[in-house]
Amino acid sequence: MTKGHEMTQSTRILTVDDSASMRALLLNALQQEGFDVEQAVDGQDALDWLASNEVDVIITDINMPRLDGFGLIERLRESARHADRPILVLSTESSDEKKRRARDAGATGWIVKPFNADKLAAAVRRIAH
Amino acid sequence: MNAEDIQQIFFVECEESLEAAEAGLDELKAGTHDDETINAIFRAVHSIKGGAGAFGYVAMQGFTHTFETLLADVREGTVAAGSDLVDLFLLALDCLRDHVDAAQSGGDAPEDAALIEQLTQAQAVNAEPAASDAAEAEETNAADQDLDALLDELMAGGDAPGAAQATDKDGKDPAGWTVHIRPHAGAMINGNEPLLWLRELTELGGECQECHLTDLPALDDMDVEEGYLSWTFLMPADAQRDAVADIFDFAGDNCTVTYGEVGAANAPANDAVAPAPKPEETAEPAEASATPVPEAKTAEVPAKAEVSPPKQQAAEAPVRKQTQSPANQSVRVDLTKLDKLIDGVGELVIAQAMLTQRLANESLAHIEELSMLDTLVRDIQEHAMAFRAQPISSVFSRVPRLLRELAGTTGKHVKLEVSGESTELDKTVIERLSEPLTHLIRNAIDHGVEGADERKEAGKDPEGTLSLSAEQKAGRILIRIGDDGRGIDREKLRNKAIANGVVDPDTQMSDEDVYNLVFAPGLSTAQSVSNISGRGVGMDVVRQNVKELGGRITIESCPGTGTTFTLALPLTLAISDGMIVQVGEESLVIPLAHVVESLSPGEADLKGMGSGRHLLNVRGQFVPIVPLRKIAGSSSKANNPSAGVLVVVETESHGCAALLVDAITDQRQFVIKSLDTHYRTVDSVAGATILGNGRVALIVDVDHLVQSEATSAVPALHPAIPSQSADEAELAKVA
Repeated sequence: MTKGHEMTQSTRILTVDDSASMRALLLNALQQEGFDVEQAVDGQDALDWLASNEVDVIITDINMPRLDGFGLIERLRESARHADRPILVLSTESSDEKKRRARDAGATGWIVKPFNADKLAAAVRRIAH
Repeated sequence: MNAEDIQQIFFVECEESLEAAEAGLDELKAGTHDDETINAIFRAVHSIKGGAGAFGYVAMQGFTHTFETLLADVREGTVAAGSDLVDLFLLALDCLRDHVDAAQSGGDAPEDAALIEQLTQAQAVNAEPAASDAAEAEETNAADQDLDALLDELMAGGDAPGAAQATDKDGKDPAGWTVHIRPHAGAMINGNEPLLWLRELTELGGECQECHLTDLPALDDMDVEEGYLSWTFLMPADAQRDAVADIFDFAGDNCTVTYGEVGAANAPANDAVAPAPKPEETAEPAEASATPVPEAKTAEVPAKAEVSPPKQQAAEAPVRKQTQSPANQSVRVDLTKLDKLIDGVGELVIAQAMLTQRLANESLAHIEELSMLDTLVRDIQEHAMAFRAQPISSVFSRVPRLLRELAGTTGKHVKLEVSGESTELDKTVIERLSEPLTHLIRNAIDHGVEGADERKEAGKDPEGTLSLSAEQKAGRILIRIGDDGRGIDREKLRNKAIANGVVDPDTQMSDEDVYNLVFAPGLSTAQSVSNISGRGVGMDVVRQNVKELGGRITIESCPGTGTTFTLALPLTLAISDGMIVQVGEESLVIPLAHVVESLSPGEADLKGMGSGRHLLNVRGQFVPIVPLRKIAGSSSKANNPSAGVLVVVETESHGCAALLVDAITDQRQFVIKSLDTHYRTVDSVAGATILGNGRVALIVDVDHLVQSEATSAVPALHPAIPSQSADEAELAKVA
């Protein structure tokens, strides 16, 4: 059986967003919930960092320069190390087409911005294994 | 970091996004239509929308949504980016800027209903040809609704349709209820973990009633990735239905979840459609148990993976070749920290000057280490100043909008030519430059550029041209604002000045003097007073603003071909080069920017004017001599110009003058310390600095000194004369 909720203390999250204010909001919200938070500024940055680091959950934006969220998810799913990593998409987009694409790329879940900190934390706990 | 800090980050981001969007739209307007340009514009607007939502700027969020939707259509290629559309985008961008400004200043959001309507219409009109595709897509989407409903906005606040449905009847069923879950082959992919679902059900008070083994195949037929088990949980009466639905939020089609009443062993297929249907909606229990594993609806969903066109995926393939993202290359630093660094560098400059002095006393002034130190200090200073430097493009980039607005109010369409926009200036200068620049441009369009008809008659292009340029030259930044309009009407301006009593009719005036009348308070030659300019308020303020920045403004004009205003601004406001002079016991600093030359006059070069006043003949030009002892106190021995040194200085509006000092002692960098802050405002003193010997020296406000000297000396002239004519008038009197 996987660990229970007490693991919250050590759950490590990587947030990927090109907006500095959104990164700051995420950092505040997630740290308050007791998560360890790492941050990347776009998909490529995340990919580079993940090449030599581990996290429990990834929360990524879709629209980013260099490598967007879809691309990031696809690349992670192709990699042996991160194929099963829970990935939440956090985007202002909410079109069915985009969600389907995220799903096909391998996203675990989709949360629409603006996010509610409690719900986001609950979602992270739900998928962190 | 508190919410306010984050909000500040957001506004900085907005500024960057607006600039990026504007740059992109300019490219579109110029005919560039590559994907990355449109992508960049989309991302910029999208990023603002994200923040607007997060910080609760509802109006901004709504507007950006509409804006973004149309941009998305352009990006997808369903709407062509014609020039009309680009113009509409530019208008929308202006409106978005107003939204951002309103949010930042706490003001009311701008009126955007009409623009939203236009954007929506543009989308509708252009989308028509693609209608059949859209219908097709809709069909596919409809089949996907279950997937999306599950993936959907439950997390965004629980107000998604599915969730709303679930909270009916208070989300509770007094009799308790059951939930049946059946994970499929995909349940383990995408980072999902069915075990966690079971755990959460237990945490909500659920009890596992039964684990169904009926689907379990023979061992040889077992596929490790397939799901064969299903569970029925008995949930307590007070368990929230939507809390359970939340658990399966991300499971999508990889797990069939059905709800039932107590006694209904299993739930039927169709309930998988909604995440949390009411018990009444479940099918007959008998039917349900007959088909414990729902197939009908879910079977087609995995096939959707193939529906999404592979071509599109290839087109938006992940890796975009682009230069490093700006976020990677820059660090945000609190401005106060930066200012502390600059202050520190200032102190370093002073310490170095003191060290130099000390070593000079020991006859060590020329040691190699000292010149190394000198080079290093200068380098550090330049780099530290560069932190505060910003490209002038942040000011120039606002001009296209201004021109669009002016075109709307004046009907004059003007092309913009910009050069040197990467020239960097001190942040403070940049911030305070916007206002005078705006006024000069309004003025150029309103007064300078003729109407289309007048231009045609004069054989000119009916569309006027405004040129903006910036360059660094001789330690100053030169900004030029030029138009190709009618030029300044010299006679009209002069007559007006005479009529208003600003200038004496008999005064001889050079072209430059006359043009400088533009800056006199209360003068305007505009035929009709418009709401843009023409009230004569402003140009004097423009000059005042530029002066406060330590800058100067000059005018060149040619009748029929246009007028150019040149702003000469200092690179920095904190450290400057100066000439250290001795007057009696005191050392004074004359900012080097003003100094033209220095000389020791012979008797022949001097002309007495009575009451101790003298003029200096500089190669045939007479300039007034101003003794600096006025500032330093009367202890100077150099009352007689021929006994001292004359430093010829150039002022912004009063021509040249010769400052009388005892000796020139040094020329070096000095750190400007405000007297206003530390003491009080003193006439003709721009500030103070600390010299190498540790003593305080006053910095001469050359403009003020020469101006007060000129006005006190020439009662015949109106005190408000903003020109060089003081000198000429003196000469006239002498002659």
